[in-house]
Amino acid sequence: MTAYLAQRLLLTIPTFIGITLIAFLVMRLAPGDPAELRAAGGLGAAAGAGISVEKRGAVDEAMAQWRSQYGLDQPLHVQYGVWLKNLATLSFGESFKDNQPVWNKIAERLPVTLTLNVWSIIVVYLVAIPLGIYSATHPNTFGDRVTTLAAFVLFAVPLVWAATMALVFLCGGDFYYLFPPGGLESLDFSNHWPLWKKIKDHAWHLFLPVVLLSYDGFAGLSRYMRSSMLEVLGQDYVQVARAKGLQEKTVILKHVLRNSLIPQVTILASILPGLIGGSIIIETIFSIPGLGQLGYESVLARDYPTVLALLTVTAVLTLIGILISDVLLSIVDPRIAFGRRLQ
Amino acid sequence: MYCRVWRTLLALLLLLGCGDQTEVIVGEAQTAANTKVSGPPVTGDWLVLHTLSDPEQLNPLTSSDAGSSEVLAYVFEALLTRDPRTLAFKPLIAEARPEISQDKLTYTFKIRKDAKFQDGRPITGEDVLFSVKAIKCPFVNAPFLRVYYDSLVDAQLVDPYTVRFSIKEPYFLNESVLGAIAVLPRHYYDPGNLLAHVSVRDLTQDPAKLPEAVKQFGEQFNRNYSRDPLGSGPYQFNVWKTGREVELVRDPDYWGNGKTGIDQPYLDRLKFRVINNFDAALIRLKSGSLDYMEVLQPVQHVRGTESQRFKQDFRKYEYYAPTYTYIGWNNDHPIFRDKRVRQAMTYLTHRKQIVESVLFGLGEVVDSHIYLFRPEYDKTLKTYPFDPQKALALLHEAGWRDTDGDGVLDKVIDGEKIPLRFEIKINSGNAVRKSVALVLLDELNKHGIAASVRELDWTIFLNDVKNHQFDAVVLGWQMSTTEPDAYQVWHSSQAANKGSNAISYKNDRVDEILEQYRREFDEQKRIQLYKEFQQILHEEQPYTFLYVSKRVSAVHRRFQNVEVFPDGLRPIDWWVPASRQKYGSTITSR
Repeated sequence: MTAYLAQRLLLTIPTFIGITLIAFLVMRLAPGDPAELRAAGGLGAAAGAGISVEKRGAVDEAMAQWRSQYGLDQPLHVQYGVWLKNLATLSFGESFKDNQPVWNKIAERLPVTLTLNVWSIIVVYLVAIPLGIYSATHPNTFGDRVTTLAAFVLFAVPLVWAATMALVFLCGGDFYYLFPPGGLESLDFSNHWPLWKKIKDHAWHLFLPVVLLSYDGFAGLSRYMRSSMLEVLGQDYVQVARAKGLQEKTVILKHVLRNSLIPQVTILASILPGLIGGSIIIETIFSIPGLGQLGYESVLARDYPTVLALLTVTAVLTLIGILISDVLLSIVDPRIAFGRRLQ
Repeated sequence: MYCRVWRTLLALLLLLGCGDQTEVIVGEAQTAANTKVSGPPVTGDWLVLHTLSDPEQLNPLTSSDAGSSEVLAYVFEALLTRDPRTLAFKPLIAEARPEISQDKLTYTFKIRKDAKFQDGRPITGEDVLFSVKAIKCPFVNAPFLRVYYDSLVDAQLVDPYTVRFSIKEPYFLNESVLGAIAVLPRHYYDPGNLLAHVSVRDLTQDPAKLPEAVKQFGEQFNRNYSRDPLGSGPYQFNVWKTGREVELVRDPDYWGNGKTGIDQPYLDRLKFRVINNFDAALIRLKSGSLDYMEVLQPVQHVRGTESQRFKQDFRKYEYYAPTYTYIGWNNDHPIFRDKRVRQAMTYLTHRKQIVESVLFGLGEVVDSHIYLFRPEYDKTLKTYPFDPQKALALLHEAGWRDTDGDGVLDKVIDGEKIPLRFEIKINSGNAVRKSVALVLLDELNKHGIAASVRELDWTIFLNDVKNHQFDAVVLGWQMSTTEPDAYQVWHSSQAANKGSNAISYKNDRVDEILEQYRREFDEQKRIQLYKEFQQILHEEQPYTFLYVSKRVSAVHRRFQNVEVFPDGLRPIDWWVPASRQKYGSTITSR
């Protein structure tokens, strides 16, 4: 077990370096120059207006000065090396935008995204697992078809459209005012409010974003659940359990459900990065200051340190997620052999 | 004020600036039910404003985005400001406009003795001098702002309330540049007085030779002051919740309270709510969690805000935004070298129809690059109407004929027969410019001109423009609402080295006018020079000037004294009668 773990851990290192290298290159080879962007902003040239030829020299110098401040005048491989070195000390450097450590920016927004995603994962599981069980226990009935169809229709609805529709019709425009049109708290929110009032306010604001973030997950998960359960239902031991005279409820919940959950463990791998991978669409439409919004704004501003930090954190979480699910899988299902036993 | 001056400064090099409209406005406000309340203005209530994204940082020198300067305009004050209506200079932190020496190279400002920062400490010449040093300090992360102050070579304290600036060369906009210096409290931004022992002149020398303290100052200034601004303006910074809102609170002890000639603030709080998209912002406006949207999208103006219910709660204001859109013809291109061809192109551009159909009527056809309401604007220019016949006649006169019967006009230029075929480049993602190009294209193709449109990614597009790699482009410039200086766009020297004269316009008389204009300190003479300049451009049509577009803002009706100024709306003047205040009044003096 230890050797297996060690082997897996060692394997993640080249994977990790590969991921960061690609991320670094993609970011840096994309068109756009942060110095030019800042020069345009600093000079107010919203339309890329440029500057007089006499001042051109001064501006070029200013840009060179700005680049050297952030080490952008070094060759790419040197910059990547520096970035890796900083990473070894767990530092992502400073944002181009406001010279604040990138960690602070992420830490500031992490709770928001976490709240949103934890709730949405809970909702997905709470809805999709029972839905899958129902479909599997009533295969090819009318109910199964309806739930399957509904799940797939939801899966196919574009999030941008659904979110915009929800905003227009439910958030107090010209139609119903059931939910707030974005944000995380009311305008008059105060820390002096009693706890229940704060919770109520947050819940009211989170409801739509969480529902919207969750709905397309129903289809995938419930189908997984359905198929793995159907597979288990065909096993001999289920027949045996039934033959023993166990109640159908006990058969399903105790024998079938447990065993059909094994494949779901692999899905765990995607949950961890999913926790922090903010949804740009939802966060933008509902003006929620989470990591998705941060990432989007950073890409637009070519704020390399922030973008790279977000990519790296996501990559690390994905790798950890895969590692955990591999290990869990081998614990849950002893038939899966560790590498060592194979030899 | 701060914003005003700040933008004036930008206008300098970039022909940027704000609006200038005195007569056009308020389609609806006049017909609306009269909600005017009599009696003197009272304080209290909040204004919740829309901002599209978080400010980058709230440091008046190192921030460079529009979101930051919008907020900071309420917190910081400059030496001079402009009268909102006439845009004439008006003293703010300075006692009066500067004394300018005979040779136009020294400017002396006297500082008001009664002005105070928000922490109660008085503003002195030392703070002004510090503010200049901070800009000039090479370690402060404001390299682009420094470019503007390139010609400022020295500044000295004559006495504790008098500052003298030395300038490299005479230029009529120097007063505007110097007047725009925002005054920062030295005791707050440089508590260790690290810049005390260097002069402004020292700071322009080689950075390597500067004392360690200067470097230390720069690092502290860049790092520690990005979120808590402290100035002398009517509003104090209160809180910034990242990605959600920035809140400013009225300073009850503002030094300017009750002083004539100083803007009087009434609203207790200004909340800048971050809402990343316009649809969501409009819905928030309707649901009552926003009071004011400065920019409504044209389609929102036409569709989303016409209901009776909306009009009951909000009033819309229309005013010109100081930007113009144009088609630039590459004057070096064999086809467009001939001014008759350029004139023909303008005759073929149905500008009225473009404004009607593409802009939903929210715009005005223009024939010059000077903002419509400036005194420099030449009202005698006779607009080029949409007239295909005249255009064809001009092309014919210039020698363009379909000699080979392929349906495309052609002409022998430099011994080579070339067809009248060219490409209009536009940047992708700008639907308006694309529509403009397509409307024109349609017309051109009808008359044997084989034009095509190419959409390019912004950075690539810009690179092509700067390197003169185009036949024609659709682009926009911002205009100055204050004294314009178009040198950068039209002087022939600016065609080289990626300058702004991307179409390579060259005219000796125009060069002469542009140079003379910059050194002319008499406004009337400057106006005369620019009128002649516009006549020349009008005849030559290096650009086909298209339109100035209009902006529509929506403001909740409880706000009084909402007026349209050349630079748009000014929330600083607004107030709400006590009976209609939504959020009440809570601010008391220290």
